[in-house]
Amino acid sequence: MRQAAGPRSWTFYVFASFFALFVLFLYGPMTVIYILSFQGPTGGLTFPMTGFSFRWFHALVTAERVGDIGGSFQRSIVLAVMVAVLTVVLSVAAGLAFRRRFPGSGVVFYLAIASLIMPGLFVGLGIAVGFQLLGLDIDWYTSALGAQLTWTLPYGLLIMFAVLGRFNRAYEEAATDLGATPWQRMREVVLPILLPGIIGVALFGFTLSYDEFPRTVLTAGTRNTLPLEIWAMTTNVTSPALFAVGTVTTLVSFIAIGAALISIAVIERRRTRGSGNSV
Amino acid sequence: MPTGSGNGEISIVGVTKRFGDMAAVSDLNLTIPDKAYCCLLGPSGCGKTTILRMIAGHETPTTGEIRIGGGPVVGLTPVQRGTAMMFQSYALFPHRSVLDNVAFSLKLRGAGKADRHRQARELLAKVHMERFADRLPAQLSGGQQQRVALARALITNPRVLLLDEPLSALDEYLRLRMRGELRRVQKELGITFIHVTHTQLEAIAVADLVVVMAQGRIEQAASAREIFTAPRNAYVARFMGGQNVLSGTVESAADGQAIVVDEHGGSFSIVVNGEKPVRGSRLVGSIRRDRIAVSKAQGCAEASDKLNSLFGEVHAIEYQGSYVKVTIERPTGEGFVANVLDVDFFRDPLDIGDRVLARWSAHDVLMLEGASDAGEASMDEAGGVLISHA
Repeated sequence: MRQAAGPRSWTFYVFASFFALFVLFLYGPMTVIYILSFQGPTGGLTFPMTGFSFRWFHALVTAERVGDIGGSFQRSIVLAVMVAVLTVVLSVAAGLAFRRRFPGSGVVFYLAIASLIMPGLFVGLGIAVGFQLLGLDIDWYTSALGAQLTWTLPYGLLIMFAVLGRFNRAYEEAATDLGATPWQRMREVVLPILLPGIIGVALFGFTLSYDEFPRTVLTAGTRNTLPLEIWAMTTNVTSPALFAVGTVTTLVSFIAIGAALISIAVIERRRTRGSGNSV
Repeated sequence: MPTGSGNGEISIVGVTKRFGDMAAVSDLNLTIPDKAYCCLLGPSGCGKTTILRMIAGHETPTTGEIRIGGGPVVGLTPVQRGTAMMFQSYALFPHRSVLDNVAFSLKLRGAGKADRHRQARELLAKVHMERFADRLPAQLSGGQQQRVALARALITNPRVLLLDEPLSALDEYLRLRMRGELRRVQKELGITFIHVTHTQLEAIAVADLVVVMAQGRIEQAASAREIFTAPRNAYVARFMGGQNVLSGTVESAADGQAIVVDEHGGSFSIVVNGEKPVRGSRLVGSIRRDRIAVSKAQGCAEASDKLNSLFGEVHAIEYQGSYVKVTIERPTGEGFVANVLDVDFFRDPLDIGDRVLARWSAHDVLMLEGASDAGEASMDEAGGVLISHA
C-alpha cells in the first residue's frame, strides 16, 4: 500500500476532480432548493434570501394556489406501500424459484428483466391504451400500480439474486434434516435469515414508486401522485412553495431509507451481539 | 440423554447417482455395521459426500437401494430414516440462540417451551456448552459452533449420525481434540457414525471402518490398520501415503515370492502368498516407508547385492519428531520415501544431495491388485464388509 505521505500520481487528481464535480452537480442544486425553501415571506424563486421563514411550508397545507399537495402525497405514500408489498412478495417468490433451473428459466428471466430497458413513457402509454381498449378506467391504484410494478419487480428480482447468492442452502437442508415441513422451513428458517435483504427489496420498491414519473404520468388518471403534482406545479406555481415541496419529499425519502437501514442494523446486531434472551 | 434407537446398519446396494451426464457414484455396494464409526475417505469429487447425502435423504439415488436397519429408506424423510446430519458449515441458524438451535426439532414436533429447553440444556451440557445457551451462533468460535451442531443433530435421537467434513473448518489443535471427542460420543451413544473426510490421518485415527474412494468407486473398505498396512491396490497405497509402490516384470517365482525387475534394472521380491504369477507379467507391490533402512552409498561398488534395495539421491529431508522423512529421487520413476527413526537418522545424518542406498527385507513387500484385477467381489474379514466392483 502507498504511504499516506508519499506523492500521489496525477491520476488521483484527475479522478478526485471528477468526483468533486459529481458531488457538486448532485448536491449543489438540491442544496440551493433546500435553502431557498426557507425564503423570507417577500422573497422569490432566486437568491438573495430576504429572510428566514417557514411560510412556504405553511403554504403547502393552506394555500389553494399550490394545488392538491396533501392529497397527492397521501396517494403516493399508499401507492408506494402497495408497490413495496407486492414487490417483496413477488420478488422473494421469484428469487427462490429461480434458484433451480427449470425449462425456459432463461427466457422467463430475460422477459422479466427486459422491462428495465423499455422506455418508461411508452410502457405507460401502452398500459393506458390497453386499459382503454378493455374499457377499464385508468387510476393511480390500478393502471399506475401495474405500470410501476413493471419497473420495481425486475429490480426486486435482481436484488433477491444478490441476497440469495449469499444464502447457504445448508440452512434449508438442516431444517429438513431436523424435521421441518416445507412451510415450517420457509417460516422458521428461510424468511428470518433473508429478512435484511427483504427489507432492502421493500425499500427499493417504495422509493422507486415514490418518485416514479414516466410510467405513471399516462396511467394515473385524473388524480395525481406527488411527482405528477410537482411537475404540474413547476408550470404554474412561481413561489418558493415549490422548493418547500422538494424539501419535504426529500425528507420523506430519507425517513424511509433511515427506517429501513436502522431495522436492518437492529436485525444484524441481534444476530452478532445477541439480545441475551431466548425466544 | 437420548440414546440410539433401532438398528443403525446401513446397506448400500448397487447405488448409482448421476448429475446430468456425470456419474458421481457408480454401482456402489457397501455395508456399514450397526454402531460402527465409518469414515468415507477420498479426494474431493470422489463421491463421498454424495453417498452421505443419499443416506441422509438430501439426494436420491438414480438407481439402487439404500437400507437402514434392514428397511429401504429411499423416498423417506430424514426423520423417518432416523438419521441426522452435521453439515460442513454447521448451518446453525444465525437468528436463533444456541438453546433454540438445539431445541429446534423439538419445537417442530410441538414440544412445549419448558420441555424442549430442558432437553436442549441437557444435551448442551453433554457437549460442555451449557454456559453458552443464550448466545447466538455468530458469537461462538468454530469449535464451539461444532459442539452446538453436534448437540442439535443428536437431539432427534438418531440411529445414524452423518458428519460432512466435520473437522475441516477447525484449526489443527482443535481438530485433533474434536476427533477424539467425536469418537468418545459415538462410543457413548452406541449409534452409527458416518464421517466424510479427505484427511487420511483423521480417518484412520477415528474409524472402525475406513472406506477409501476414488471417482465414484470404492477402492478399499477395511479396518484402519488394514487400509494402512495392507492396501489393496496402488491407488490406496499411494493415497494413504504410508507406502512406496514398486512395480516390475516377473522374472521368477518360488517359495511364495516373486522376483520382479523394474525398468531401471532394480530387482526386488514381492510376497505373493498362494498366487502363481506368470513370468513376464507385471506385478505391483508396496513397501511401508518405515520398513526401509537408508545408508550412505559407499561408491558404486555396492551394486553386488541389488535385490531389495535401490540407489538414489536424497531429494528432501523433513523432520517429523519421532522420525525423519527422507525422500529419495531416482533418475526416473516416482520418488521413494523412507521414514527413518530419529535415533537412527541422527547417528549418521544425511544431507540433501547425498547418494544413498535404501534397503528392506524380502518379506515386507506386499503384492497389490493391478488395475486389471477389478471386477471381482471379495469378502473382507475386517468388519465383515462386502465390497464388489463392477
